[in-house]
Amino acid sequence: MSNQDWANANPERLYVISGGRDRKSATAGFDLVTLVVARARPEPTMQPEHAAILRICGSPLSVAEISAYLRLPNSLVTVLLADLLAERRIEVRAPVPPAALPDLSLLEAVIHGLQRL
Amino acid sequence: MLVGLLPAVVIGAAVGLAAAGGPGTATSGIIWCGLVGAAAVAAAGFEAVRRGRALEWTREEAARQDAEHRHRLARQQAGMLELARNDLPQAVARMQGGEFITDVLRSYERQHVNNAGDEFHDFRHAVLRAVLDAVDNEEAMRESAQRAFVNIARRVQAIVHRQAIDLRKMEDRHGDDPAVFDDLLVIDHGNALIGRLADSIAVLGGARPGRQWNNPVPLYSVLRGGMSRILDFRRVELHPVSEVAVVGPAVEPLIHALAELLDNATRYSPPQTSVHLTAVEVQTGIAIEIEDGGLSLGEEGRARAERMLAEAESGIDLNGLGETPRLGLAVVGRLARAYGFQVSLRPSAYGGVRAVLIVPDVYITTAPAPSRAHGIGRIATTTPLAFPSHPGQPDSEAYPSGAGGFADTPPRPHPATATHTPAGGFAAASAFPRAVPNHAPAPVGPGLAAVPYEDEPPVVLERTANGLPQRRRHAAPSRFGAAAPRTPQPAPEPAPAPVAQAAPVPQTPAPEPVQPGLWLAAFTNGVNGTAPSAGQGGPGHASDEAAGKGDK
Repeated sequence: MSNQDWANANPERLYVISGGRDRKSATAGFDLVTLVVARARPEPTMQPEHAAILRICGSPLSVAEISAYLRLPNSLVTVLLADLLAERRIEVRAPVPPAALPDLSLLEAVIHGLQRL
Repeated sequence: MLVGLLPAVVIGAAVGLAAAGGPGTATSGIIWCGLVGAAAVAAAGFEAVRRGRALEWTREEAARQDAEHRHRLARQQAGMLELARNDLPQAVARMQGGEFITDVLRSYERQHVNNAGDEFHDFRHAVLRAVLDAVDNEEAMRESAQRAFVNIARRVQAIVHRQAIDLRKMEDRHGDDPAVFDDLLVIDHGNALIGRLADSIAVLGGARPGRQWNNPVPLYSVLRGGMSRILDFRRVELHPVSEVAVVGPAVEPLIHALAELLDNATRYSPPQTSVHLTAVEVQTGIAIEIEDGGLSLGEEGRARAERMLAEAESGIDLNGLGETPRLGLAVVGRLARAYGFQVSLRPSAYGGVRAVLIVPDVYITTAPAPSRAHGIGRIATTTPLAFPSHPGQPDSEAYPSGAGGFADTPPRPHPATATHTPAGGFAAASAFPRAVPNHAPAPVGPGLAAVPYEDEPPVVLERTANGLPQRRRHAAPSRFGAAAPRTPQPAPEPAPAPVAQAAPVPQTPAPEPVQPGLWLAAFTNGVNGTAPSAGQGGPGHASDEAAGKGDK
């Protein structure tokens, strides 16, 4: 197991990727299902992770998906997204809320009404 | 001899005269007495002369012996001088250079000092042996001390690496919990610092810095790896670097040397200034520059630092390390000597120090670096070449051909839902890499996905153990090398393209068989020497083949 790990491991550590910022600096309320869309194209001077996010977010992707594709933990992706958001390179929107169902009592009332017909 | 006879002759003459003048009767007596006297005198004269000669001879002999002794003394003195000035230091140096004591002694055994006598030779040899024995003991002690150092360092390294792997797993596991995650990062950082210290000890003990890397690692990752091992990595500004990779064996030493140089740079510059880290290609390889805005190194300081580097390069004495204030330079010097890096320190335009480390060509490869770099690695410089900016368009269509950049990342294996189409859209766009950016159809649906991967066979779909897709990048040259000449070819294809070929089927399965062949082709090219620059000819060729397959 450790052999495999060593073969695939990477010299970079995660704190370097996040640039040492922690989640506290990320103010936007990201959660796992927040949808992210790129508003700008990746630039060569960007950090690779930022560029990668912009590239894969051509169409809306959730934070969880981004995290899976980049193989980076959620918290780290959140920090990166917060950077991009601050530079207005991405747009963030909350997931579509599930359709609000009418009140259960109303439905029952309708059923009763129908049965009485 | 004649001188000895002279008195006898005189006496003889006197006796003759006396005999002639004297009375006749006394003549015979006179003659007899005279003869006897003359004979006695002659004998005395002979003896005197003989003794005189013997004395002379003895004196000569003595003088000659004296001269000979003087000569011999001089030769012995010269022999001793030779021993003290040349032989002994040479022998000690050879011992320190790792030769066996018996070999060294044997080579000196044959060196006889001329005419100095066997005894002298033996004594000389005894002196040599005694000294070399002492040196041998010293060396053995030092070696065992170093071995002990290295041994301990190795154990620490093992623990640190174990810890790093565990920490990475924990970071993945607790990625959703920001508080825990941030704390884990802090621990991870501290762990890396310990690791660097252990690596330094190992290097000073004359061993390799640490773990081995089997595969080439992208230069960008190497630079960030160096950053990750210093305390103040936040201050390091990493500029984009060229897309090359460092071959496995040189990765760890390079990371370590960079970490030490960066540590020096951040440590000896004001905390609010940043340290610039760049890498540029030069004639002999890659030059990595580290520039800080600290105190300028005066000419004297610079000379001292460079001397320290040079000293370290010619082997360093562990005893002398105690007083060395900048331990890092000793380590860098060691590594530079072992791996042929050239390190120089110059005054920087920012006022501080500019350290330049040149990595020789042999350690640089343009071949694809399989190390995954969190799945993104070389993106630093990938510019989407065909990127039409349609500011007015809605999001999903605004960046359809981000694929210029995206092409190297495989289309993600999305469930073939038509609406959620990053895969389809991107793959489609890769068919029109740069010539027809404006015609690149906005994502029209998954059907398009069938057409395009002949141009770019990068599609590597791997699934991780937990079933998540994994992207992987491949060689940069293949993208540009293969894409450019092909631009005319795909041009006629857009027409059939939109005809939905109902082909989510080949979308995923086709690329997978391509990949092994592609690698094999690159490999055989490299082996046959048909493509001397494997980085450029190989993959390009390979993608041709792949394209051929795709056509069938």
